[in-house]
Amino acid sequence: MTGAAVAVMGAVFNLNHPAKVVHWHFFQMSVANILVIILMFIVFFAAILLPFPGAAARRTARGQGGAS
Amino acid sequence: MSATETPPAVPAGHPDSWTVKVREAGVAALPPDKLLPDGQPTYVASWIYIFGVLSIAALIVLIGTGMILALKGPSWWHDASLGHFINSIHLWAVEIFFFVMVVHLWGKYWMAAWRGGRIRVWVTGAITFLIAIPCALTGYVSQQNFDAQWIATQAKDGLNAAGAGAFFNVTNFGQMYSYHILLLPVAVSALVAGHVLLVRRNGVVPPIEIADKLAAAGKPDAAAPAAGAGS
Repeated sequence: MTGAAVAVMGAVFNLNHPAKVVHWHFFQMSVANILVIILMFIVFFAAILLPFPGAAARRTARGQGGAS
Repeated sequence: MSATETPPAVPAGHPDSWTVKVREAGVAALPPDKLLPDGQPTYVASWIYIFGVLSIAALIVLIGTGMILALKGPSWWHDASLGHFINSIHLWAVEIFFFVMVVHLWGKYWMAAWRGGRIRVWVTGAITFLIAIPCALTGYVSQQNFDAQWIATQAKDGLNAAGAGAFFNVTNFGQMYSYHILLLPVAVSALVAGHVLLVRRNGVVPPIEIADKLAAAGKPDAAAPAAGAGS
């Protein structure tokens, strides 16, 4: 792989350093893990709040709360 | 035998045979229309209900890439370009597996998914999550690199302090690799299979407000098996 290709294919974030860590009293966690947990919360609430494609039409067709 | 001749009657069978009893018990517990349904209740049309099947999809990728890695060995996954690629797919499938499994767990917890006789569904899911953690840990310490050595020595202190170090030695590659590619994946796969069959049997848990409406209408949790049928 050429030097240019390595530069293009390299990590988006510079990983050539020790992990950044949040340390507060007993709490100690890497910034990467904290970001993943925040992302999980975002996905969880998005899954609850965002409408599912076709769900409204299905409810209308079958009646609210009805089973198939 | 001519084309018009009547074929011999099928023997009456042996109703006392254990195979007959197992078959009848299996069909009674999980009729074909419940095992492979052609529709789901309307409340399943929500994004929060997709994280269970996403977990299974990630698990299938994990097992597939894990089989390839087990066949090729450490020198291949460290040195070959394709080995790096498959190794990375395996790693990111683990990341996605835990990500979606935790969101699935959160969704089911706040939905109180053990309602309507579904306690075994909840318990098999919770145990699967607990077994998946050492499954991942044994993978991290089986990488055969400095990262694996660092993780193993750090984990060793904690496991020794918990009293597990005598029989679960994270610095023993052979033991960890056996746990990682056989014992724990078999346990996770069996638990997931049981979990899915229990979901099929009990039906997907309805949201609490819909369950209340069904109860008010005299149809408490229509998807669940009849009272007394167990779960």
